[in-house]
Amino acid sequence: MLSLFRRIAKYTAYLYFLLYCGISIMLMQLQRKETLDAIKERGLSMNASIAEQISSFTGIISLRQENEQLLLQNARLFSQLMHQQQVLGDARSIQAASAGAPAWARQFRIARVVDRRFSATDNMLVIDAGSSQGITRDMTVLTPDGLVGRVTDVSRNYARILPLINNDFMVSVVSDSSRTLGLLSWQNGDERIAHMEHVPVSSSLKVGEQVTTSDYSTFAIRGIPIGRVVRISKDKLFCNIDIRLAVDFSSLSYVIVSPAKPSREKIEIMGGETGHKAP
Amino acid sequence: MFILVLVQHFFISRLVILHASADILVVFIAFISMSIGQRTGTTYGFVSGLVMGLLSGNIGMSALIGTVEGFVAGFFHVPEESHATSVKKRRMYYGAGITALVSGNLLTALLNNPLSLPLYVRLLEIVILGTIMSMLLGALMYRFVLQKLLRD
Repeated sequence: MLSLFRRIAKYTAYLYFLLYCGISIMLMQLQRKETLDAIKERGLSMNASIAEQISSFTGIISLRQENEQLLLQNARLFSQLMHQQQVLGDARSIQAASAGAPAWARQFRIARVVDRRFSATDNMLVIDAGSSQGITRDMTVLTPDGLVGRVTDVSRNYARILPLINNDFMVSVVSDSSRTLGLLSWQNGDERIAHMEHVPVSSSLKVGEQVTTSDYSTFAIRGIPIGRVVRISKDKLFCNIDIRLAVDFSSLSYVIVSPAKPSREKIEIMGGETGHKAP
Repeated sequence: MFILVLVQHFFISRLVILHASADILVVFIAFISMSIGQRTGTTYGFVSGLVMGLLSGNIGMSALIGTVEGFVAGFFHVPEESHATSVKKRRMYYGAGITALVSGNLLTALLNNPLSLPLYVRLLEIVILGTIMSMLLGALMYRFVLQKLLRD
């Protein structure tokens, strides 16, 4: 008996082997049973979850490339947004220009300033409306804030504007309270300040009065705002008057071109010319 | 062992060349059988085969192959009291590894044929190529890890 046990103990590895082989073969046979299927299913789900973790890990590795693609996409979207905002801004500007204009300005043409030359002496604007849009020479150019200038040259799709802040520009003006008449001109220097000339020292003009175009103008209808009196100094015969202009030429992007002009008959009887110096 | 099972299943077994891949588990089982004993090696083979079967969905066959691998590698067991030299231990390690791999791959080639390959293709590719690839892995393991454990 003892020798049998010794022999068994000596060959336990064989017994283990047979036992495990038996279990394995039994498992192979029972593989289609429900319990084993459930175990198998559990194992496969574990397998899937680990594989998912591994794939998420590899996803982190490829994150840099995805980031670059997203940045590129972001840049594309940003450029589109910028473009749309620009278009929206332009539309608002046009709407504001139309809404703020006087009632009789409904028939006016709205044009965009496409070029400008600002210097201490020679200023000039170009707008994107020309003869094909009904623009003609000597039309008045303004914004809802006030007078901008007059049309001097016209091509098919563009027009050149002589702005108020040009040495060659002059316009007849009148103050709103004291009804003082004068001639507005601009000398070199500050783009916001023009000068009112030919106002006698006896005039009752006061600082703060608003100045508009008068009936004497050869190209502009009366009542277009010009600016406000900011300084009056008296000389021997005439006053030196500074007018702060209503229009901000530094941020001018849209203008209104007025087809309304003074009566041709009036101009002829006045003997006025439509040249630059004509008021 | 469980870490090795995961490494084998998710990484090494995916590096397939001509339907054969290396098997780090067999190398491990062979090492256990050679250094600890046939009984322990057989048990390790059985358990690791079970776990691998759980992951692959072929529990019984995996367990059987693992058991056979552990058992045959056990014939190369070097007892502690034998005071064998490291050269002999290395020789036995490679012997255990090759025997376990050949028997395991042979069983795999015979019992498992998911791609419906002809028998001679399975024998050539899985047995020969699989054994060579696994032994290369075993040599690397011996060189960098197991050599320190099998010193005189």
